[in-house]
Formats: sequence, structure tokens, C-alpha cells
Amino acid sequence: MRWRRLVLRLFLAVATALLTLGLLLGWWDSAAMDTDGTRQASPVFTPERPSLGAAVRDFFGIQPEPERQPIAFTHKVHAENRIDCTSYCHTGAAVGPVAGIPGVKQCLICHRTIATDHPDVEKIATYEERDEDIPWQRVYGYPAPAHVKFQHAPHIRAGVNCSTCHGEVEQMTVAVRAVELNMGFCVDCHRQHKASVECIACHY
Amino acid sequence: MDRRDFIKLSALTAGAAGLAGCGHPDHQLIRFLPEESWIPGVATWRPSLCPLCAAGCGVMARVMEGDAEVVRNGRTGLLRMGLVKKLEGNPAHPVNRGKLCARGQAAVQIVYHPDRIRQPLKRRGERGTGEFEPVDWDEALSTLAARLKQVLDDDPAGLAWLSRPLRGGKRVLVERFLATLAAPAPVYFELFDESVLRWANRLSFGREQMPTYTLSVANYVLGLSADFLGTWNSPVAQAIGYGEFRQGRPGRRGKFVQVEPRVSQTGANADEWIPIRPGTEGALALGLAHVLLNEARRPTTAAGTAGERIEGWLQGLPEWTPEAVAEQTGIEAERIRRLARELIAHEPAVVIAGGAALAQTNGLATALAVNALNALLGCVGALGPVRFTPQPESTGLAPPHRTLRALVQKILSRPESPVKLLLLYEANPVFATPPAWQVAAALDRVPFVVSFGSFLDDTSILADLVLPDHVFLESWMDDVPESGTEPAVVSLAAPAMRPLHNTRAMPDVLLDLSRRVGGRLNEALPWKSYEELLRARFDALARRAGADADAFWKQALERGGWWSDNGGTRAAAPRHAAATTRQIRYQPAEMDGSVEEFPFHFLPYASQAFYDGTTAHLPWLQELPDVLTTAMWGSWVELNPQTAERLGIRQGDLVDVTSRHGTLQAPVILSTGIAPDVVAMPVGQGHRAFTRYASRRGANPISVLAPLEEPETGALAWAATRVQIRRAGVGRLVLFSGGLSRFPHPEER
Amino acid sequence: MSRRWGMVVDLDRCTGCEACVVACRAENNVPTVGETEAARGRAIHWIRIERYWEGEFPNARIRFVPVLCQHCEAAPCEPVCPTYASYHTADGLNAQVYNRCIGTRYCANACPYTVRFFNFFHPVWEKPLHLQLNPEVSVREVGVMEKCTFCVQRIKAAELQAKAEARELRDGDVQPACAQACPADALLFGDLNDPDSRVAQLARSPRGSKLLEEVGTQPKITYLARLSWSGDGEDR
Repeated sequence: MRWRRLVLRLFLAVATALLTLGLLLGWWDSAAMDTDGTRQASPVFTPERPSLGAAVRDFFGIQPEPERQPIAFTHKVHAENRIDCTSYCHTGAAVGPVAGIPGVKQCLICHRTIATDHPDVEKIATYEERDEDIPWQRVYGYPAPAHVKFQHAPHIRAGVNCSTCHGEVEQMTVAVRAVELNMGFCVDCHRQHKASVECIACHY
Repeated sequence: MDRRDFIKLSALTAGAAGLAGCGHPDHQLIRFLPEESWIPGVATWRPSLCPLCAAGCGVMARVMEGDAEVVRNGRTGLLRMGLVKKLEGNPAHPVNRGKLCARGQAAVQIVYHPDRIRQPLKRRGERGTGEFEPVDWDEALSTLAARLKQVLDDDPAGLAWLSRPLRGGKRVLVERFLATLAAPAPVYFELFDESVLRWANRLSFGREQMPTYTLSVANYVLGLSADFLGTWNSPVAQAIGYGEFRQGRPGRRGKFVQVEPRVSQTGANADEWIPIRPGTEGALALGLAHVLLNEARRPTTAAGTAGERIEGWLQGLPEWTPEAVAEQTGIEAERIRRLARELIAHEPAVVIAGGAALAQTNGLATALAVNALNALLGCVGALGPVRFTPQPESTGLAPPHRTLRALVQKILSRPESPVKLLLLYEANPVFATPPAWQVAAALDRVPFVVSFGSFLDDTSILADLVLPDHVFLESWMDDVPESGTEPAVVSLAAPAMRPLHNTRAMPDVLLDLSRRVGGRLNEALPWKSYEELLRARFDALARRAGADADAFWKQALERGGWWSDNGGTRAAAPRHAAATTRQIRYQPAEMDGSVEEFPFHFLPYASQAFYDGTTAHLPWLQELPDVLTTAMWGSWVELNPQTAERLGIRQGDLVDVTSRHGTLQAPVILSTGIAPDVVAMPVGQGHRAFTRYASRRGANPISVLAPLEEPETGALAWAATRVQIRRAGVGRLVLFSGGLSRFPHPEER
Repeated sequence: MSRRWGMVVDLDRCTGCEACVVACRAENNVPTVGETEAARGRAIHWIRIERYWEGEFPNARIRFVPVLCQHCEAAPCEPVCPTYASYHTADGLNAQVYNRCIGTRYCANACPYTVRFFNFFHPVWEKPLHLQLNPEVSVREVGVMEKCTFCVQRIKAAELQAKAEARELRDGDVQPACAQACPADALLFGDLNDPDSRVAQLARSPRGSKLLEEVGTQPKITYLARLSWSGDGEDR
């Protein structure tokens, strides 16, 4: 029927317009985003999405690709030198919920003496001089509205390899997201290993 | 376009939005190098102390890393640092044994309050307008040092210190600072001051301190207007004891009777609640003693010194027959006899008088009568429910209310204020004193006022210079609890987190100031920091305990203080010589205003959420439904429904409450737990200035109080004002609507 | 044997001090809504103290009852949820899964205890108050229902800790924020399936009963009656 198609088209047009607007707003807003997704300039913290774009992304479960890292850190070289993932750099993984990303101080434990003339290592020293830490960009993570409480330590204790969720990082130069950590991925593995698949095992 | 196209299009657009919407490092705040390394998401626990009332509970702060926005060397950025997330009671601390009250739970919001003063400020606009501009610490301290030198050169009597009562290291530091400068002794002020009871305890028992009530050994508790489970004395310690008193001893459930003009949170728990005419609690105590002495034939000497203080005691209190007492108190003679019989039948029994009972012109006589009654019941001493915590150092203070009034009179006595420089620390007397005391007018005449406060409140808004203190979790903390514990306790805690803002600890500022002023101060205050001062105090304590100083200090830092584990103490417990041998005669309480013109007795009370108003700036407490009325975010006046009906007032109506000293407006809540001739109102709201959450919210009952006092201690008789009530319109009450329609429980068994 | 988490509330110990109410808010990122929204009945309290006034002056009598989610065995909130956001876990918790919740509010209407609260708007924390937020608990957004979880984050943490130490959970390992704060020890939490746990022992007390037992929800919180005293010196 013609009028129904008309209504449908009108709806689609409006929806498209809104999404485009979201795109624009999302771009426009990006300048002022905090690491936790809230606007830096805002005097309040709120779970509200900072832009329509962000809301759309969350709805479709789209995670932005990791941003260019401030230092072209190569995992490969460090792995070849037999530096264990969780003993030196991602120390939180073995004992706590969050793996953690090393900062200037941890880097400089070795790099005060090792490869000090490498341009990227010089960059680290410059950060230290400026009293700044390295603004690493997140590669993995869950959007806040997923309400996921992932804990690294129990997975490590259960003998899950880092590569299961993070890919062959030791072969990577700058880390990329090799595994899409969606709920299907988690639940498959939990089922295989007879771990809990209750909602509240992860969502609370 | 069909549905499939639409989905494709949406996905495309959303994908594009996703790509566009992420932050770029150049746009993010810089990250400063952290000072400590943290395991993200893993909590550590650090001991600290609750600063919110005199109970002095020990807390454990749960610290986790997080990104705080800070200013460092003029740059704004994110700093990964330890942030206190939650406070729990310190399980090892003898006062609160792992527990905490509602205010203590909310104390963590003080750290992160959006209206905390973040750097030193100096006044820019007119006084009291709250217009300040930031200054750096060095400039602020030089300004103050210059002022101080000028005052000292001129006349050291021109320096004044005004704060809440201090204990432990801070008290030593401040008193020595002033004494060395030959300045007058510090003026301490708090609204709910207990000097009446302390003084009575000195007269009765030779101990000028608050008692420790060990309810877990009592079989019978008779409360006289004391809110000992909510706001009075050491409420957490008392509530722990109360739990044991009721259900902690199989086969033995203690009985609790509360006598008071309005049901308090504490009274709500009583097995029997008995209303009494305000200000006659002492008469009831004498009436009970009369029955014990005459009908139960207890010897008058059984009460020792405490009895000798009371006129007529040794003769058996012949005037205080239950019939005579019934006439004064409004409690039937037969009931008084029964209460007396129950006290004897359920020993150990204890009578607890506090709050409004002692905030009367006859408060001292009431406290003495209750002390004598307790002594007669044999409940005072090492094994009874009333004990005195050994004090490692002197506890006596000059009566705070009297000293504040003296300061005010001194300032107002001459055309030009003799006080030239006033140092103000954690006291808000402009809010918490009756208008007739003229505190605001006096402070306004002091040429230079310096506040160490973390917030602008009714008093500190008058400051010329604000030197914000760290808050408790950022500070070295120590305390010497006066009551609520059996062993002697000296609490101690290192900072639980680094300071969030550009603030400095008040004791360190005083020490810095001393170095700037120099001279005798350098010798009198040899410590470089407050930490050093505390260490010196603990070294002295270690010497007395015969312990190794380093180990002693380390253990105290880990546990949250020092206390003697076996219940006894080797620390000196000073006993005061009886100051007088004269006897005190009980007089009826004097009330301000005639019964004809002001028919209602006005009863302010310490609020469960805000105590004396010092925590009104915390949103968690503003949104805490009052347990008896469910009211939030405002003030209210409690009125008996019969009275309300007679005056044509309904729940929620706005009323004018008028005394001889002022008028306030607040909405009415009807309550069957209040006498028809009494109106009650919680203290805490009605601040002219106290952050975005409490400024100009509700009304302040203290603003209509009469300046009557207890004559011997000068303590404000804050429950001695009479008022009239008139409907003024429709008010606004915010009540917590959640609830079941009826008591959801089978009948009591 | 699986666990069955439950609680005992001793009304004879409860003093109405409300330490539990603030402790819960601090632990669980429960937002404050402000005066205007509170006046519209939108304040959120996962635990509250109810008070019941009886009698006229001078015989007024008040009884306090702490009310929180009863984690019912036959929870009326669960079958009405169209998205299974409200469901029962194997260890007896009545769980609320925020990311499934679409905000129909059927569950709140079904709950006879009115302990479910809806986020009518995005909660806000005026900075830097947000630095207090507990990272172990979700910050809920507009449109979802929330309620007491029995501090599930503490249960999870204690379970993980016990597993890391290769031991069984012990009675007392898990304490929700309300019970930990309670000065008079009126709130007690534990495993009802463990007959030796303190909570199981107290739940068998002759003073015990359930809230609105007659509606058949089979709550997992047992209330121990406050005793009264007739005045003649004897317990009744």
C-alpha cells in the first residue's frame, strides 16, 4: 500500500538523518573525550554518552580501532628477548582484574641502559623530563554499557594463555586487536572449559 | 529503499561514526608521572581516623588507583594515584571495633567534594560575599607572617585562636604555639559541648571526662533524653554494646526504658518510652533515688562523694517523694516507684542522661543527681556499666561556651577590636550560636581573620585569608578518645592518600609560620613537620610502655594507634581533686519566654545525618531519609497531631516558629511521639553558606534560641527556649516514598 | 552442594542508625538524585529502614525494619521480565543484569517489597565526587532497573580469593557493605545451605519469620522479631 511505503520512507529518511547527525556530532565531540568516555570539560561525570555517535557505536557494539600509539612499541622484540608478559610489564594480570600498561618508570628500569639511542627510547626519556607518562591508547576493553567485569587473574590461574584472547602478540610490532572479544567468544570458551555461563558471572 | 538497504546504511553510518568518534592523544589531558606504582583494580587498606565527632572511631580506608585531575606546576593533567573508595570501621580499634555510623560512612565524600577549597584564597569582595581570589602558598604565608609579627610587636593579646575542641598532638601544638607567643589560650567551640557532664563527673567521681558506658554488662538501661544510639557520646561503641545487651547473651535480654519529651532514634528502641516535661529529668533521678533510699533502704553512703554533692541526700532526699516528683515531671508517682523497683531488680542497671536533659539551666544539678543515682546503684567502676577510660594526658578544657562568649565580649567591648588577628579552624560559631551572642558582629570587627577550613561556611566566609587544610584522609591523624573504650587509646594514622588539591596540613602551616616568625617559637616548636611531632609523642609513649621506639611506632601505624591490649593501662590516669565540697541544690529549669505568650517548649536535637550541622554539605547525608520521618534535603518541625489540629495545621504546612529572639519557617511533620506542648526540630540545616548542597537550605533552629546558660559552666542551655507557632502557608517536604503499607511482620513474640 | 546466600535481620538489635543505608550507597555507586527528583519519588536506596508508628501519645511505639531485596526463591520480579534481565542464579541470588534490562519496570510493579528502583534519568556525579566510585560495581545508566545485589562483587571477590588459596569459602568470608557497617550486628549474611553457618543457625530461631510470608515469595531474608517487655520485669 502506498501510504505505508510513504511512512516507511519518511521514517528511514529521519533515521538516516539522525545517524548522519550522530556521525557529525561524534566527530565534533571527539576532541574533548576523557579516557572513560566522559567529556573532560564537563563538570559532571555521567554514564550518558557524550554524543549521538557514541550511542550509535555502543548500540551496534562497534569499538573504535585503537588510535596511533604515541610510541611504536614492538612486542616482537621484547618477546624475543624473553621478557615475560606478566612478570615485568603487565604485572596486574597475574594478581588483579586489570593487566595494566607499563608507564615511563617501568620502561626506564631497563631502558636507562639498554638501547638508549633508539629514537623511541629517547622519546620515553623526553616524557620523563616533561614529568609526563606515556599516553598509551587502549587496544582492548569493553564499553561501559556492556557492564562487563572481566578479571585477568583467575583466567591466568586457570591456565588460559594470553594469546587465546590477545592473539600472537609476540609476533606483533605495535599491538593490534587480533581477537574480537564479544560475548560469543567468551561464552564459547566458558562452555568448553565448563566455567560458569551465568549472566552474573561477568555482568554485575 | 527496502529494509535490507536500511540496515546496510545504518551499519555503514554507524561504522563511520565509530571511526570518527575516538579520541586522539593530542586532545587528551596529559598524564603526569605517578608518584607510587599501583596494581590497577587491587585494593589496599590503610588505617585512618574519623574526624566527624568526638567519639574518635578508627577507620580502614579502601584505596585503589584511579586517575584524578590535578594541577601540577601550573599544568592540568591526570595523575594516577591512590584514591580512597570506601571507609570501614577498623576491626582492631577498641572504640568502634570494625563498625561505623552513617556519618562516618559518608565522610569519604569530604575528600571529593566539588566545593572543596583547592588553593589558598584571599578576600577580594566585601566581607561575607564569598568573593575570593587564589594566591600561592608563599604569598599567603608571608602575608600571614607579616600580620602576625605586627600583632606580636603591638600586643600579643591581639592574637586569638578559635577552633573545635582539639585533642592529642594538635592541641599540644596549638597551645604551645600560643603560649610561646604570650597570646591568650585557645578558644574552643562546639555546639553540643559536654562540659556540664564533664564537670559533674569531676564533682561526683573526680574524673573530668565523658563516661564510657559498657552496655554489654548492663541488665537495665534507663535513658534520660540521651540519644546514645544515634549522636551522643560514643554512639558506635554504645550501639555495639546495645546489640550485646539485647541479644548477645543467651537467656538474658536487657531491658531499656527511655524517658524524654520527644521520641528520639534511641527512644524508638526502648521497651518503654515515657514522655517527661522538658528540664525535669534531674527531678526524676532524685525521685528514683528517694525510693531507693527510703523504700529499698539503700544506705545514703553507698553513693559516696556523688551523693554528698546533692543537698538533702544524706537526709534521704525527704522533699523528693514520688508524688512531688510526679507533679514536676508529669510522670505518675506509681510509675516512678515501679521504675525504681525495676532498677534494683535488674542490676547492674545504669541511668544515662545527656543531650537536652543537660542543656538546661539546671543541667549540672541533673547530671549530679544522675551520677548519685548511678553511684547508689553501684554501677560506676571497673566492672560496672559506667567506666572511665584511662587518659594518657589531661583532658580538662576551659568551658568552651564561656570562653567563646568572653572572646566576643572582649572584641565588642571597645570601639576598636582588641583582637587584631583571628585564626579559625573547624568551628562554625556563626551558625551554631544563638543570635544574642553576636558572634557574627564580633568576627566582623576583627581586622584580619584567617581560616584553615576546607570549605566556606557561615563563619569562614568572613575570612580575609583562607589557608585550606588537607582533609583527614590526606593528613597525619592522631586522637585520644575520651570515652567509648576500656583500654587507653592513642590513635594514629599516616595519610591514606596524597592530597587531591593544593592544600597544606594546618599543623604544618603553623610550624612553617613559626619558622617565619622565628625567635622563641623555634625552640618551643622544634619539629619540622607534624609527623615529627607525632613521632616524638609516640616515642615518649614507647618509653613509658618500656617498648622499642621504632617497633612501637611501626606497630601503631599498622594498627591505627596504640592501645593496651589487656584492658588495663600503665599510662597515668589523672584524677582531679574535688574542686569544691559544697553541695548543689536542684533548681527547676529556667525557660526563656512566658508560658502564656510562648506556649511551646522548643527542642532542637542533634540530627542523625548532620549532627550539629558539620556534615550538611555531604549529598549522601542530605539524601539520607531521616529514620523517624523519612524527610530528606530540608528542615522540618515536629508537632503533636492534637496540637496541630487545635491550631489548624496539617502535615506539610509551613509554620512560623517564633521565640523572643527570632523567627524561623519550616514545614510541619506530625508525630505522635512528641508531647503536645513541645515542638522539636533537627539541627543541621539553615546554613547561609556551606557549599552547593547545604547553602540556604532549610532553617536553623539555633537562630531562635535564647542565650540562657548553665551558670556554673557557662554552657549554652540550648533546650531552654519557649516558642509560639503560627501557620504561614504551604510548605514543601521531601519524603522518601518507598515503603510498605503496614508493619509487614507477624506480631511480636 | 551449591550455596544459597541469605541474610538474617535481628530486629531486636537494629537501632535505626542507618549506617547500612550510607554504607550501601558508598559501596554500590548508588546515585543521589537531588531535591527536585527526590520530591518526585525518584530517590534510590537499595536498603532502607522502615518505621512503623503505633499508638497515640503518650503510648507511641515505633518499630524499625530494615528492608532490602529479599532475594526471593519465588521472586515475582523474575517471571514478568521480558528480557530475563531479572533472573535467579544457581546460588540463590536474585540477579539484575543491567545490560539485558530494557526498562519495562514490570519487575518493580511486581515486587511486593518495593525494593526495585528505576533510573529515570542519567545519574550524575559532580566532579570530582566520581573519583569515589567503586570500580568493581557498574555505574547504571538511564532506563535500567537496579536493586540490592547482596554485594555480588564482594561474593565474587571472596570466591576468587578462596579459589586462589585453594580452599573452600568460610563462613564470614563474605560480608555485604550493610552488614559490615552495622554497629549492633543486626544484619548477618551467609550461606543458608551450610547448616553450621551462623546465618543458618539464626534463621532457625523461633523468633524468625519472613517479610510478607503470606504472598508466597519465599524470601531468603529471615527477620528475627523484636521482643517486647510488658513492664512487669518478664520477657513476653
